[in-house]
Amino acid sequence: MNRSDKAWQRLIKAARQVSEEQESVAPYGFATRAAAHAFTAKRANPSLIEQFALRAVGVASLLAVLGVVSNYTMLAQSTPTHVADSFVTVDPASIVLGETDYE
Amino acid sequence: MPDDESFDLPGCLERVRQRDQAAARQLVDQLYPLVIRIVRSHLPRRVLEEDLAQEIFMKMFTRIEQFQGAVPFPHWVSRIAVTTCIDHLRAQKRRPEFRWADLSEGEADVLDAVMTNENEVSPDEAMAAHELVHKLLAQLKPEDQMVIRLLDLEQKTISEICAITGWNGSLVKVRAFRARRKLRKLFESLERKERS
Repeated sequence: MNRSDKAWQRLIKAARQVSEEQESVAPYGFATRAAAHAFTAKRANPSLIEQFALRAVGVASLLAVLGVVSNYTMLAQSTPTHVADSFVTVDPASIVLGETDYE
Repeated sequence: MPDDESFDLPGCLERVRQRDQAAARQLVDQLYPLVIRIVRSHLPRRVLEEDLAQEIFMKMFTRIEQFQGAVPFPHWVSRIAVTTCIDHLRAQKRRPEFRWADLSEGEADVLDAVMTNENEVSPDEAMAAHELVHKLLAQLKPEDQMVIRLLDLEQKTISEICAITGWNGSLVKVRAFRARRKLRKLFESLERKERS
């Protein structure tokens, strides 16, 4: 045993003299709090339906995106090229009043 | 460890598994002295002992379904306590270097006394010695600190340490050897600094 080891042994011997006589009984309410926290944490675990619900939302969103992507060409073709042409530009009230020549 | 011999641990565990709050409270009360002793002797700085104890009990309740009875229940709980303390010790940063300037006047006197003369440290300086030991141990790795605290400060045997920590005997010895070597270097560097 060298000097450093001897110094450590003397130091640790002195440190052991400090008695750790502190209260070792649970403080008032500690057990109730710990038990309540534990059971709350356990209850926080989601049920089977809850676990699958979030995944179902994800899967549904993915399917919706895939649906739009796969049908994109069809959707693009069905959109009129001249949107203005598809609207009736003649005022129906003016036809009734005979102010417009509508044939 | 629960010292009440009339305490029915298997029955209590069974009721806790059935979510009986009264049984859970009883279990906490029984195991508190064991847990708080581990927490107090390995308490990292800036962590409240009650918070750490509560965290340990939370882990115990969360994992209680995993307890198969391979080891006595108090040993199983003490391993959770040890692991939790080590995690907290690991989370706190160690100072890169230990210096005389880090010591209080009393601690410096104690260190000087143990390094320079063969006499025992006086009982008046026991508290300073205790603080100094904690400061020196804080320089070690958390697992090494744990082993030295249990071996030297609490004077546990290797088999007791194995039961508390769940480590095998060889690992405990290797960690103790490594920790002592680091402490030796620490003492030597402090001695050199004091001379210079």
